Amino acid sequence: MASCTVYTTHSLSSSGTISKTSIGFLHQSPLRPENQIIFCKRTTKRPNSLSTITCSVPEYPKTVVIGLAADSGCGKSTFMRRLTSVFGGDAAPPKGGNPDSNTLISDTTTVICLDDYHSLDRNGRKVKGVTALDPRANDFDLMYTQVKALKEGKAVEKPIYNHVSGLLDPPELIQPPKILVIEGLHPMYDERVRELLDFSIYLDISNEVKFAWKIQRDMAERGHSLESIKASIEARKPDFDAYIDPQKQYADAVIEVLPTQLIPDDNEGKILRVKLVMKEGVKYFSPVYLFDEGSTISWIPCGRKLTCSYPGIKFFYGPDAYFSNEVSILEMDGQFDRLDELIYVESHLSNLSTKFYGEVTQQMLKHVDFPGSNNGTGLFQTIVGLKIRDLYEQIVASRAGATLETAKV
Amino acid sequence: VALVRATPSPSQNISEKLSESIEHAKEVCSGDAVSGECVAAWDEVEEMSAAASDARLKEKESDPLETYCKDNPETKECRTYED
Repeated sequence: MASCTVYTTHSLSSSGTISKTSIGFLHQSPLRPENQIIFCKRTTKRPNSLSTITCSVPEYPKTVVIGLAADSGCGKSTFMRRLTSVFGGDAAPPKGGNPDSNTLISDTTTVICLDDYHSLDRNGRKVKGVTALDPRANDFDLMYTQVKALKEGKAVEKPIYNHVSGLLDPPELIQPPKILVIEGLHPMYDERVRELLDFSIYLDISNEVKFAWKIQRDMAERGHSLESIKASIEARKPDFDAYIDPQKQYADAVIEVLPTQLIPDDNEGKILRVKLVMKEGVKYFSPVYLFDEGSTISWIPCGRKLTCSYPGIKFFYGPDAYFSNEVSILEMDGQFDRLDELIYVESHLSNLSTKFYGEVTQQMLKHVDFPGSNNGTGLFQTIVGLKIRDLYEQIVASRAGATLETAKV
Repeated sequence: VALVRATPSPSQNISEKLSESIEHAKEVCSGDAVSGECVAAWDEVEEMSAAASDARLKEKESDPLETYCKDNPETKECRTYED
């Protein structure tokens, strides 16, 4: 049950008399066609100040849906952990369920892995000769139906794709959360699902960096060699280019990860140039900027006030066009050695949607052990997390406002 | 010399399956490198690699004391007081 609070101010009346109000009235929700009854309890705190009416409204859809698209092994899970951390509390798999469940649940957020909507299991794909990237291997009808149901506040029985066995396991019950994150290969592929998203993010990892990351991840595995890692990336590339990559044009925010330009011919993939591409004109989302909104700025924070080790840090900010959309780009090349560098940078960024000075730095400090904590990937993921919190709060506030409006009528 | 192995950990299990699927992919692709079969085989390798790395991470992250304290929160070494 959700509760809303109505405040009535008694204007200038010194007598402090309070008129009687009805204890129940009909309420037409804009989100649900049927009438609902609100039960109100009136409490008066002080005779002539404020009187508070607390109303309990039957739960109506409040779930905000976020889409995160990226290839496998591109840091989706790190991003997810940073995001849930911004909202507070730990994210854990559903208790007592399938140990191989891909779902993560925290107090506010539920993260669903879209691999659970594979229509073909590992063997089925092998027989048909298609990859998991191929739309034919995925059930977009079910994806749409279930995401829609969750957004409307209904629980669903979602299948589980078991990444260890490669089979589709019996479904698990998912309750509608405050924030639903759908992450995977195709959150913005199907138009119907795309329409359900309140915000969308695409993690765009350049081929060079993807290769370097996969070497780091896989080289320790027996049987894997440079050749086999390369062959795997090459084989999946046509499907990736055809079905996954085009989704970035629909994203509200794109995090691009590129090789550094600070060191000539660097291909280690340790020092990164990370771009945060933010769409302009998205409701409830105002892009971050450096110094002056709308200008084009190149900034090297190292100098008298800040010592940086080789190869230093370089920022860029400016307006641009991205798939014929107007965007703002914030870019960071290089990596942090020490914390004071980050607070120095944070103090020069605006529109971060932080609740207090230093929140970005504090969030980054909470997870120093996560990959990317010393470069732009961690910084921009954290910023996007704060932006999502802000978006969520605005959406909830506007819905509460809308309810209040209808309640007055 | 007889090697006696303890029960393999989940990550070891996946690792073994992974090296099998790599061998399989190499075999399938030796004939035709662009066939659906070959592409699907390499995709399977990618999926197994991701699963293997997840399993390895999980094992590495688990702290022996934390694991013990989850089951025995009342013991001396595990008790924590809020104030």
